[in-house]
Amino acid sequence: MNKNILYIFILALLYSACEKDDICLLPTTPKLILRFYNNTSQADVKAVDRLSVWAEGKDSISNYRSVTLDSIAIPLNTNTSETIYHFKMNSVDGNIANNTNNTITIKYTTEEVFVSRSCGFKTIFNNVTISSDNNWIQSFTPATLTTIDNETAAHVKIFH
Amino acid sequence: MLKYFISFYFALTALSGFSQADVKKDTIGYTSAYGLRIGVDISKPIMGMLDSNSSGIEFIADYRIAKKWYVAAEFGQQEETTKEDYTNSTAKGTFIKVGINYNAYQNWLDMTNEIYVGIRYGTSLFDQTLNSYTSNTGSEYFTANPITTPVTSTGLSAHWTEFVMGLKVETFKNLYLGFGFSYKIMLSLEHPKNFKTLYVPGFNRVFETETGFGFNYTISYTIPFVNK
Repeated sequence: MNKNILYIFILALLYSACEKDDICLLPTTPKLILRFYNNTSQADVKAVDRLSVWAEGKDSISNYRSVTLDSIAIPLNTNTSETIYHFKMNSVDGNIANNTNNTITIKYTTEEVFVSRSCGFKTIFNNVTISSDNNWIQSFTPATLTTIDNETAAHVKIFH
Repeated sequence: MLKYFISFYFALTALSGFSQADVKKDTIGYTSAYGLRIGVDISKPIMGMLDSNSSGIEFIADYRIAKKWYVAAEFGQQEETTKEDYTNSTAKGTFIKVGINYNAYQNWLDMTNEIYVGIRYGTSLFDQTLNSYTSNTGSEYFTANPITTPVTSTGLSAHWTEFVMGLKVETFKNLYLGFGFSYKIMLSLEHPKNFKTLYVPGFNRVFETETGFGFNYTISYTIPFVNK
């Protein structure tokens, strides 16, 4: 009888020694997901050629440096209430002279939400408003979002 | 020849009957102390000296109610700072655990050593302070500034059950050294608003499955009330 209790203790110890709360596996601060569509046939996804993305005053995001993609996920600055992004594209060739830039400004309020022991807090973005200088981007939708709290689907459709 | 043999047998029977009647009952029994045993967990002050994030004290007491059964309790207070990757929080409060121990050790003579198993009900009343935290941005591109304004939640409570096992060895007359291990299962636990109780005094770290572990090293002394 005593031996059985001992086994239960050892099993419980083994079971709990490497618990899942030691590693953060849950979603944390969501990125803003943009999906690019064809302006003339708005149901169709259209990749952007030689796209580079950087926030005001920073280097390009390493994953988005002259790449051809139809959707991107960009982080928002949690310390401020505004993030300005520059989107460079070049649909002609690799020459700098043919680059065109577009600026998108995202304004929001931040809210910290507790996730778990190992993940800590995430930031969600409320009352989001998006504006663009519409250079190579023709239009986008929606211009306002009540909240960005997940990464399950694209938040904004961009037409070009 | 057989006749004498049978007679001799009867004579022996009588002799044995006689000797049986003559034997006195052994009155030199072995008694052991029944009384209140009080003690202290020496691991907590030592841990407090080694680790600046931990300080506390735990007293233990038990009372022998039957040959193998003890009513047992632990109580004390604990302050513990939990440092995680994105949060730093402190839990501070008091706790009490009450239950029974069964001594599974078959003692020789008048010894009162114990290898025990037992159960406890535990409860704690505590405050939890979120000292600082940093938002987990999930990316290297923007780093979040730490927020260092402490937020305290007071009057939080926890209730749990414990399965304990351990041993107590009588080193000098009525003085015991002990080691105990416990496995705890949370019954109810209050969390601060928009945060989580990561540590409960008496329960220790609260794992994701709302279970916990504990151990103690104790010195205790029996105040003998009666020997029986």
